[in-house]
Amino acid sequence: MTGIGPVEPVESPERGESYDVIGADGPRLTDRWSVWWRGLPPRVRRATLAATAITLLAAGVLVPRALSEDQHPQPDRAPVPWPANVTAWRYLGPAGLPEPPGTHPTSGRFRFAVNVGSGPPVTLQVTGAAFTGLTAHALPDAFTVHPGTTRLVTVEITVSDCSGLPLSADLPFLDVTLRNTRAIQHHSFIFGRAYSRDLFRLLRGACATRSAPQPGRPSGSAGSQNAD
Amino acid sequence: MIVRRSMVILTSVMATGALTLTACGSRDDKGGDSNGGGGTTLTIGVDAPLSGENSTTGLGIQYGAQIAVDDANKNKLVPGVTFKLKAFDDKAQPATGQSNATTITGDKTAVGAVGPLNSGVAQSMQQVFASANMVQISPSNTNPELTQGKNWQTDKKRPYKTYFRTATTDELQGSFAADYAYNGLKKKSVYVVDDKQTYGAGLAKIFTEQFKKLGGKVVGTDHINTGDKDFGSLVTKIKNAKADLLYYGGQYDESSLITKQLKGAGVKIPLFGGDGMFASTYIETAGATSEGDLATAVGVPADTLPAAKTFVETYKSKGYKGDYGAYGAYSYDAATAIIKAVKAAVDANSGKVPSDINALRSSVVDGVQKSDFEGISGKVAFDQYGDTTNKQLTVYQVTKGAWKAVKTGTADLG
Repeated sequence: MTGIGPVEPVESPERGESYDVIGADGPRLTDRWSVWWRGLPPRVRRATLAATAITLLAAGVLVPRALSEDQHPQPDRAPVPWPANVTAWRYLGPAGLPEPPGTHPTSGRFRFAVNVGSGPPVTLQVTGAAFTGLTAHALPDAFTVHPGTTRLVTVEITVSDCSGLPLSADLPFLDVTLRNTRAIQHHSFIFGRAYSRDLFRLLRGACATRSAPQPGRPSGSAGSQNAD
Repeated sequence: MIVRRSMVILTSVMATGALTLTACGSRDDKGGDSNGGGGTTLTIGVDAPLSGENSTTGLGIQYGAQIAVDDANKNKLVPGVTFKLKAFDDKAQPATGQSNATTITGDKTAVGAVGPLNSGVAQSMQQVFASANMVQISPSNTNPELTQGKNWQTDKKRPYKTYFRTATTDELQGSFAADYAYNGLKKKSVYVVDDKQTYGAGLAKIFTEQFKKLGGKVVGTDHINTGDKDFGSLVTKIKNAKADLLYYGGQYDESSLITKQLKGAGVKIPLFGGDGMFASTYIETAGATSEGDLATAVGVPADTLPAAKTFVETYKSKGYKGDYGAYGAYSYDAATAIIKAVKAAVDANSGKVPSDINALRSSVVDGVQKSDFEGISGKVAFDQYGDTTNKQLTVYQVTKGAWKAVKTGTADLG
């Protein structure tokens, strides 16, 4: 279906594995494991390494035999879900400290909790923020959420052109590309009053004050004092 | 193999448990009808337009619920209980819907109802079900007032604790449509028409408010009557207004004729509507003139829901009439929510069907409120207003004679 179905072969949802997501829930498993290992006495570490080597050797001999013996068909696995059907976004609030009074920044950061309920990991990329004249991207651009986990994500929204931007509207959303081993989908995540209030506070600050000294100017860049 | 031995043990335990449960199951309860096999028969009512206007989508609701009941009986979802579906035709008329609600609640084997299709009909039924403390779940009502009260925009208040819905609301649908029209289609001037019904007028109002907020201009508004066939004067008004989009709040019966007559008069602008016109009949009636028209609908496309695949195959193989595409899966999930609530009530009563039908109905209302399962349309759960927590929707456009999804969205309004 247009805009819904796979638009390209999905090879690896783990692209961008080295990114860092601001405010991720907690240290990764590998980090926790590393801290625990360094805390062990040297004798215990040596004994653990020896036991692991023996276990791996035994597994190398026994597992192939076991697999060749047990050729019964596996029960049907649940089909891999489409990424948009297992991914949920929740708005948490503005990121960072409030702007000092009298300042009118042209960009703002917003915090979200992103959850993937089931299936393979989902890699996400924010591509837009509903209105022409706004650009949006997550920090970093692409991030992966593993099933059963929630990651805290910061999205930066920049006002690039005030012309045509509404100064209030209901249910603003983020456009997001989602990708897992099943499909790539372009999907909108829509938020309620709290996000609407915070987003339009940014828009009004960025646009209303700049258009005031230049009445009649049909358009202008929020990031510049120069007329377009 | 350890795995194999474990499976044998697990299977034995499960089989023993199943036999124990069966032995505990009631065979002679007074709640519901005792059927020939010694079990209990409980009725689920379904109300929708099954003939005349709106019946394409209405039949999809009836047979969606029918498949859920058949599956529950086949899988013995509630041991000792056979479910029976009784379908009622409301002809999209509030008075008929209210009469049907009275009949359903008067049936001492009835534990709940699925439907209706139309929000206006639901308004006439809600009080009847509330008085009988019987659960009612609509798979298609989208008017916000039904769950959140008249002042839903400023002070949400649930009117009836017995009313639930598996469809999301027009607050979401109308706003999403306005955004797609303004930012997606780049349409700046719209003519808005509605059918004066609760659903159609409410949806058109929400669309209008959001379209204006976004910067769009409403160059004209008008109303039609359901059942109208000749829209010549309306077409002239739209033509003179020089709108670049027509938004319609109402059902496919009228909108399919409007778009046909509009395009026939040389006004080549798309018609955009809500879930009430997301039906195959719209395209069949309007023919090639429907090309490029748009509709929002609740949920995501069925072909992205693996669990819906079997449902669609069953619907087709049974040769059921109507269109399952709009609400069939949501009707299936609504009926399943009632059935699961009955199971919870039976489980809580030591495996017996409560003998007092009023007690059973009350337990089912509580059970539906606590629903939390994976349905064929996605997760089935309800918030404090009785609204579904599954707030997905899709914009469809007629492309090469079929509805094609062009945008999907999920809302978190918390």
